[in-house]
Amino acid sequence: MRSLFHGLLGIIIFLAVWQALAMMVNKSIIPAPSETLALLADLLFSSRILLAVWETAWKVFLSLLLVMLIGMPVGLFMGLSDTLYDMFRPVIMVIQAVPVISWLSLVIFAWGIGWKGPVFIAFLSLLPISILTTVSGVRNLDKNLLEMARLYRVPAIRIFKDIYLGSLLPFIIAILDVSIGQAWKVILVAEYLSGGSGLGVEILRMRMNIDFPGVWALTLIAVLLGIVTERLIKTGLGRVSARWTIAC
Amino acid sequence: MDNCLLVNHLTKAYGSLTVLDNWNLNIRRGQRLVLLGPSGAGKTTFLRLVAGLEMPSSGCIDSFNQKIGYVFQEPRLIPWRSVKNNLLFVKQNGDFSGILDRLRLTGFEDYLPSQLSGGMRQRVNLARALITQPDLLILDEAFSSLDLRVKASIMSDIYHLWRENPFTLIAVTHDLKEALYLADRIIILSPRPAHIMHDMKIDLGPERSLASPDLLGMESRLIDIMCNMQTEV
Repeated sequence: MRSLFHGLLGIIIFLAVWQALAMMVNKSIIPAPSETLALLADLLFSSRILLAVWETAWKVFLSLLLVMLIGMPVGLFMGLSDTLYDMFRPVIMVIQAVPVISWLSLVIFAWGIGWKGPVFIAFLSLLPISILTTVSGVRNLDKNLLEMARLYRVPAIRIFKDIYLGSLLPFIIAILDVSIGQAWKVILVAEYLSGGSGLGVEILRMRMNIDFPGVWALTLIAVLLGIVTERLIKTGLGRVSARWTIAC
Repeated sequence: MDNCLLVNHLTKAYGSLTVLDNWNLNIRRGQRLVLLGPSGAGKTTFLRLVAGLEMPSSGCIDSFNQKIGYVFQEPRLIPWRSVKNNLLFVKQNGDFSGILDRLRLTGFEDYLPSQLSGGMRQRVNLARALITQPDLLILDEAFSSLDLRVKASIMSDIYHLWRENPFTLIAVTHDLKEALYLADRIIILSPRPAHIMHDMKIDLGPERSLASPDLLGMESRLIDIMCNMQTEV
């Protein structure tokens, strides 16, 4: 109850600061919260915006899926083998250091405008997090448990399922925790810069029409989507993790 | 009785640090051997060599055991698995109810290790070793973190299980009463590099008690031997 009250207080303070800024700065650049929220309500019922949300959302989920499916096995092998870690860590550092804009230029040349560019860029942006977090998970694994399993000659598949997956579960949750918000941001930027379809393209359209309240309203939609998907995925993972702990 | 373990000229060194130096030992099937010695003498190293968790630097251990049960000093239970699933991890089929009942763990099958007391976790550690029906049971300071009551209770369990189905037992401890309660043979080691200083037969009869005059008398004798040994060293 107290945390809910504190949360509400935070929102009220945020809205008050926003209102104050709207009154101080040109209203066309920072519109009042009331104006933005009214527009937001309208946009939420617009089929065009809902379609754009869907377009962006599936790109976010696809990039997250690819990151988990590719990053975790790679991280697992790198965590298990020092040779692989030494070989591929510099490559991962390079991927991590390349700015989004450079990847963007590359994908526009390669694929033109479309869904592949934003998904690929989000994938590359999140892949190092996924790999390096999994490596940390594997390296933090309790070696005593592995030794116990070796002593009792437990089959490798059971060791993987019971020890590796169990140890890595908090790290998988951490990867998703960091990646969800990041995925939304990167996909929106990529859509904004490379065109095609999605919420990023709608923000670009609003900016070109010098509709700043529209830009802010769409930004609020993106923020809400980020928060909602994070909550949904975390709740889902929490349930899976609890069920897995008891059932397996 | 036939042999369970034959140790021939066993030496273990880590770099220039020799831990075990030229051990020769014959352990018979069904024997209960306890190793006593100062910290760092290499007692645990010997257990790990017997279990195949480490390789000797020279010499060899001929093991005639098919199955080894190892009760680690710390329980090494999978934290996110229930008691039942921790047991299933090492043996997928079989009825554990007898062992669980014997070790007073019935009713706790679905508990996670974090929901159990230290003594109960150590009982699960022991149950895990016993369900594999080991020919050789290794106890590595298995009761060092337990209070006297819990320790006495688990030792009594092990002794009675041994009487029902005699397996070979090799244990390491610093507690002389614990050693005398469990052992029919005690080996006293020198400080590192460890040599076998004394090899004693313990005959306290089939009914054991931590407070029996015979056991306490033997304890005084062991204290004398170990004190004299330290003076000599």
